Formats: sequence, structure tokens, C-alpha cells
Amino acid sequence: MHASHQHRRSWIVTRAAWLAAGWLPLRPRAQEAPAAKVILTITGNVQKPPGAESIDFDLAMLAKLPQHSFSTKTPWFAQPRKFTGVLLQDLLASVGGKGSMLRAMALNDYRVEIPVEDWTRHGAMVAYLLDDKPMPVREKGPLVIIYPFDDKREVRTAIHYSRAVWQLRSLDLQ
Amino acid sequence: MSTNPPTEPRPLPRRAWLVAVVAALALVLLAVAYVQWRQYRLLDDTARFQNDGLGWSFSQLETEHLRLRNQMQKALDESRPFDADTLQLRYDIFVSRIGLVDHARARRMMLGEPIYAPALEKVHAFVVEADHTLGEKPREPLTRASMAQLLPRLDALSVPLHDLALSASHLLYERATLRNTAVRQHSQYGFALTLFQALLLLVLGVVVLRQLRALTERRRSLEAIAESLSAARHEAESANRAKSAFLANMSHEIRTPFHGMLGMMSLLQDARLTPQQASFLETAKESAQHLLAILNDILDISQLESGKLQVAPEPVDLAQLITEVESLMRVQAQAKGLTLRVRVAPDLPRWVLADATRLKQILFNLLSNAVKFSGAGTVELAARVAASGRLEFAVADTGTGMDEATLARLFQRFMRGDESTSRQQGGTGLGLEISRDLARLMGGDITVKSTQGVGSTFRVSLPLKPAEPAAAPAPSPSVGEHDGPRRLRVLVAEDHPVNRAYLEAVLDKLGHEAVFSEDGDGAVRAMQAQSFDVVLMDLHMPGMDGFAAARAIRAMPAPRGRVPIVALTADAFQEARDRAREAGMDGFLTKPAHLPQLRDVLARFGGISPESAAAPAPAAPEPADQERLDFATIDDVRRSLSPEQYAALLERFFDDCANPLGALPDAAAAAPGTELRARAHSLKGAALSLGLRSVAELAEQVQRSPADTATRELAGLLAALEKDISLTREHCVRAGLLPR
Repeated sequence: MHASHQHRRSWIVTRAAWLAAGWLPLRPRAQEAPAAKVILTITGNVQKPPGAESIDFDLAMLAKLPQHSFSTKTPWFAQPRKFTGVLLQDLLASVGGKGSMLRAMALNDYRVEIPVEDWTRHGAMVAYLLDDKPMPVREKGPLVIIYPFDDKREVRTAIHYSRAVWQLRSLDLQ
Repeated sequence: MSTNPPTEPRPLPRRAWLVAVVAALALVLLAVAYVQWRQYRLLDDTARFQNDGLGWSFSQLETEHLRLRNQMQKALDESRPFDADTLQLRYDIFVSRIGLVDHARARRMMLGEPIYAPALEKVHAFVVEADHTLGEKPREPLTRASMAQLLPRLDALSVPLHDLALSASHLLYERATLRNTAVRQHSQYGFALTLFQALLLLVLGVVVLRQLRALTERRRSLEAIAESLSAARHEAESANRAKSAFLANMSHEIRTPFHGMLGMMSLLQDARLTPQQASFLETAKESAQHLLAILNDILDISQLESGKLQVAPEPVDLAQLITEVESLMRVQAQAKGLTLRVRVAPDLPRWVLADATRLKQILFNLLSNAVKFSGAGTVELAARVAASGRLEFAVADTGTGMDEATLARLFQRFMRGDESTSRQQGGTGLGLEISRDLARLMGGDITVKSTQGVGSTFRVSLPLKPAEPAAAPAPSPSVGEHDGPRRLRVLVAEDHPVNRAYLEAVLDKLGHEAVFSEDGDGAVRAMQAQSFDVVLMDLHMPGMDGFAAARAIRAMPAPRGRVPIVALTADAFQEARDRAREAGMDGFLTKPAHLPQLRDVLARFGGISPESAAAPAPAAPEPADQERLDFATIDDVRRSLSPEQYAALLERFFDDCANPLGALPDAAAAAPGTELRARAHSLKGAALSLGLRSVAELAEQVQRSPADTATRELAGLLAALEKDISLTREHCVRAGLLPR
């Protein structure tokens, strides 16, 4: 009951924030504190609020950033699926991040390193909607790093598939 | 026993080889491309579908199972606080991992693995049960008691999940091995194909090389052939030139003595000869002329063959040309008792562009053939404009005609209509061939139609264009109202003494004054010293030749440098004419130069209008005239002098006779001896030269009468002579030779 309630609320917030994001200027909002459950923690070379070790994001905060979506085939689904979320580049810019290597960690302690060109050139995205629906943990949510596999031939490699992290929990920028 | 030689397989043509090799090469390239594409797909699929990641997914599932079990055991520990959130998270993660091993591709991969389906069934059964408390819509609260219930069920999954992970990794090893094998095989195929391709390229290279070499060889052989051909042509051309030069030289060598011979014979005719001698001389002259005709024919043929004979069209008065031909042929026709009829269509253009000499040659040939082969009847020359716009000259006879076989062979060399008659008729048999070649050279042709026993018609059709009248030679100021020929001063450069003598006689006969030099040097010196009206220039002389002399004269200041120069040569080739023209000469006369030609040339260049040409032809004589008058001589004299002059001569002859005739009988009575006979001889000579045949015969009878002839007999002869003279006079009047 608790989970379902949280989901519904975050859903509405997402929608509102999403609409607002279209015209809100892009700027670091590190000082903003998350109101709902934290789903992403960013550490490392980012502009953290004074005294804080990390910048935490809830779903609403992500929804306020510029939104993108694309459909692509993946090894995990038989059909192409639509992913919606925030470009990794925009996300890191919003926290004033500087670095060339990103360490992504999942809920199940899966860990992988993502080089800078993946968010500057290959359009890596942190998605939180699958076919316009939020993803619960048991469906590999709530966050996933996804690449435009269909559009970019150069990311259709085992390395990049391994960087597409399910159940993303935290990012560490170095 | 003979056996057929084994038929050898026909070697494939080179082109087929080339096509085959190229086709094979294309096929191999396609195969290589296919193998490479397969290899690419194999690797791409592996990467795209993360097949290798499936093993990791199975281990992940097992790991998450263990972590969930661990968390559940912690939750059952009474000494710790009950952490529902972490338990929920672990459970959710575990459930999320199930989807990664339970999908179509995974099922396909695990096909044939008996533990896969039962294991997953057990996992799903567990999830259904666990969802009562841990699902999205839990029916029961999450408590230690419910966890205690779930834990054994979770434990039960340990073995199957471990087995699954193991078998999956084994399967993946197998698949990797299979794929590696496939890749290796593909590589081998690719290698083999590449090798084959290299081999084919080698073959292609060899074929192309051979092709190139064959082409080079062929080009070389073609070049060799072309070279030898051009060498052969060069040789043939030089041989032909040598032949031409030889003929030209021979013609010169033969014509020069001929010239002299004919000239001397002409002069000899004027000498006092016995009738027998005169007859011998006549035969000799005829033979010589015949020989000359043959020589001319042969020269024409050789020139036609070597392509050196050229027609030189210039404005020609067609009416005058036909008149000239007619007046010459009339003599021949009348000699055979034939009627010559000439019909000229009224629309025939008077002036045309044509080579007058060659056109006359054709017409003379056809007409003299018609006369030769007709025993009696009519020979007709008709000139008209054909429907095609060409001029057509038709020569029709009422002769024997020809059969098909004769017609077929007619234009062939040395072909004569009738072998038996040709012996009498003479001729080389080259005439028709020459005529037709000439007609063709003018762009026309000669055709013939003949019916045996009825006659033949030869048709010459020529594309002659109408022309503006040629400028008439300007009348010389010295030629006044009277028609008498002007006396010209003629410089003759001629190295041959006989020719000089002949020319002197002829020029004297024409009433001109001749000055001679034996070579070009002499001619130039004479030209510097005196003034002349015309120069006759022999082209081939020792020392300075005619060409050089002409150039030297042309280099003199006017008016001497402008004097008309007429080339005189036995060399009838076009080359000689061209060279003469280049050297600045105005006319060209082929040896032997007969009186009419000389007179024409002198008339043209000496400013005297040729009158004989314009003279009306005498009316057709009565048959009786035939015996009485020698028209051949009459025509000759009329043309040599002029019809008027001839008439004047006749008048004088008859006037002279009037008195002496009266005196003859007296003489017979008084002195029937040498006196009478001498006068008869003189009478005969005059009659002969005027063509009065019967008078001459009677005068001869008088002359030859034996000395002891009775006076009465002699008187009878003289009376007959007197009667004949008056009859002849009447005939001459009737024939239009004498004004009434």
C-alpha cells in the first residue's frame, strides 16, 4: 500500500514537473532538497551543497530537467521499447559536474564505469519511464541507463550493453 | 585403310575465355561477400542480444536468491529490528532478475535442457506465494511469521537455481565453441575463396596479357602488310611511270620520222609523177596514215590506262564542231556512195563546256565505223538534248547490224565487227574502247542497239553544261575588209631537217614566211634580232629545249615577250601539255602537223579568222558527180585554202581552158608532138589538184597517146576533153563549188 501510494503521487509530480521543464532554464539545483524518496545519489566532482557528501535526487527533481525519449531494441525485450528520461549530459550539467569517468552503481551492487564520450557523444540517458510508465524495482526500475542502440551503430557493442545499468542507484563522477 | 583424323575440339575463342574468367571472378566475389556478411551477422547478433550475458543473468538470479534468503534469515532473527524495507527491496530485485532468464530467447537457448522449465515453474510458484505478503498489492501484512513460512520454500529453490546457472554457463561455452567453429569455418571459406579469387585474377591477367600480345602482333602484321602494300604500290606506280615515259619517248622517236615521211610524201605528190608512181605514193601515204592512226590509238589507250589522259573542258561551239565533223566525214561517206545526214535538234545549246578534240575523236570514230561497215544506204548523226538533260549524239547506220554475241564483245579490245571485213577496213580495233573510255572520262557513256540486217545505232550521252561563248580571236588590224589571209612571219624552232623542210613547204603553201632555227638558243637569238607574229616551238631539241626557250622568250620585254608560242611535239601526253602551258606557251600542236591543223593554229594565234570552218558545206553531190569529181581532194583544198579561193581557182582553170582548149585542136593539127603532150600534162596536174577527176583522166589519155596516133583520133580525144571540161563546169556549179 505504501509503495503504490508513493508511486501514484510521484506520477503526478512527474507530469507537472515535466511540463514545467520545457521552459525552465537549465541550472544547477544542487541546493534543492529532495521532497520524496531519494532514487539517485550523485557523488564525486560535483557542486555539492556545503557540508553534504552527495546530491540526492527524487523523481520530481529529475522530471524538472529537460526530458527526452526514444524507442530502441534491447537485448532484454523482444520488441522495441520507448524510454523517457534525462540525458546524462544534462543531469551532470545540472549538478555542475566535471569529470571524464562516471561510475554507475545498481541496487544489486552491479558496478560499471562509463567514459565521458558516452554522455557527450553517444547520448546516454537516465530513463525513468518505460513506455511512458514508471518502472518499479521488480521491473528493473526505477532508473536505467540506456543508449540509443538503434540510432547509433557504434554503441551496439557488448561493452555498451554492459553499461546500460538497470536499477541504477548512484553515480560517482571522477 | 584410312581413318578420319580425330576431330580436335575447337579451342574456345579468346573472348569466351575472358568472359568465363570474369564471370567466375564475379561469382567468387559474391561468395566472399556472403561469407563476410554471415560472419558480421554472427558477431553482431552476439553483441546485440547479449547472448554471452545470459550466463551472468543466471548467476545473478542465483546470487539475488541467496541475498534474499540471507535477508529473510536476518528478518527472522529476533534480536534485530524487523527491516521490512530492505526485505522488500531484496525481494523486488530478486523478482526483477527472473525476467532476465525467462524470455523467448532464453527459452530458445535452453531448449533441450530438461531442468530449465521445471526450475522456472518452481520460481514462479514461489513468487505467487511470496506476493501475498511482498507483492505490489499484499493481502497479508509483512511479519516474521509469514517470513518463517516462506523461508523453506525459498530454500527449496537453491538447488534448481544453481543447476540452472551451471547448465547455462555450460551451454554458453558450447555455443561459444560452436560460434568460434563457425567463425573459423567462415574464415577458412573466406581464405579458400580469396585464394581462388587470386588464382582467377592470375588467369585473367594471363588471358588479358595474351589478348594484348595478340593485338600487338596483329597490329604489327597489319603494319607490315600496309608497308609492303605501299611499297608494291610505289613500285607499280614507278613501273607505270617508266612505261609512260617509254611510250612518250617511243612516240617521239616514231612520230618524228613519220612526220618527215608524211610531209615528204605530201610534197612528192605535187611533183611530176607518172600515174603509177602517184598510185604507189597514194598507197604508201595511206599505209603511213593508217600506221599513224594505230600509233595514236595505242597512245590513247596507254594514256587512258595510266589515267594520264585528261579531258580539258572549255567553251566549244557545238554547231561548228558538228559542221567540221560532218564536212570531214562527208568525204568518206561519199567515197563509199553513202548518204551522210546530220540532224541537229533546234534546242541544242550552241556553246557547251567540252573537250572539243576528244568529242570530235568520239564522233569521228563512230561515224567512220558506220561508214566502214555500211555497204550502202544512209549514215545519220543526230544531236539532241535527252530527257535527262544530257546531250545525246546518235550515230545510226543502215549497215549489216550485229548479233547478240558480237554486241556483247563489241567494246572489248581488238574487237572488230567482222573479222573478214576488218582486213579490208583496217583499224586497230581500239577505237570503240577508246571512245567509250573517253565518254566515261567526260562523265557519260556509249550504248549501242543493233538489229542484224537493219543497222546499228550508237548513242553517246554526255553531261555537257551550256557555256558562255568563248571570246572570238581579236581580228588583226591588218586584216581589212578583204578576206585574204595575212602573210605571217613565223619563227620555227625545229632540230630535224626533214621536218624543217616539210614545215617550210606547208608554211609556204599557206602563204607565210618562215624563219628557221635548229635549237632553242637559235630561236631566242632570232627572237631578239627580229620580230615575228608566231613561234612554232619544237619541245625536244638538243641544247636548250623548247620549254627553256619559251621561258626565255617570255622573259623578254613586250611586245616580243608576248608573241604567241605554239608547242610542236610528237609527245602527245598531257604532262607535256601541262609543262608547255607552265612554260608560257599558248598552243599545242601534235606532230605530224598537217596543213589544216597548222592553218587553224596560225589563224588562231596569228589573228586570221579561220574561214573554212564557217564555210557552208557543199550540197550533196549527184551520183554522176562521183565519177567526175574527186571530192576528197576538193574538200581538202577547200578547207586548206577557202571555198572562195577554191572557187576562184576553178574559175581561173575553166577560163584558162576556154582558150587553150580551142587552141588544143589547133595544136593537134599543127604540132601533134611534145608540145601538145606537155600542155596535156600541165592540164592534168591542175585538174588533179582541183579534184577534177574526169578531166585529169582525159588529159592523161591525151598525154599518153602514142606519138604516131592519127590526128583524127587525137582530135576525137581532144573533143571529148573539151566536152568533159564543160560538163565538169556544169557539175561544179550544180555542186555549189562554183558560182553560177
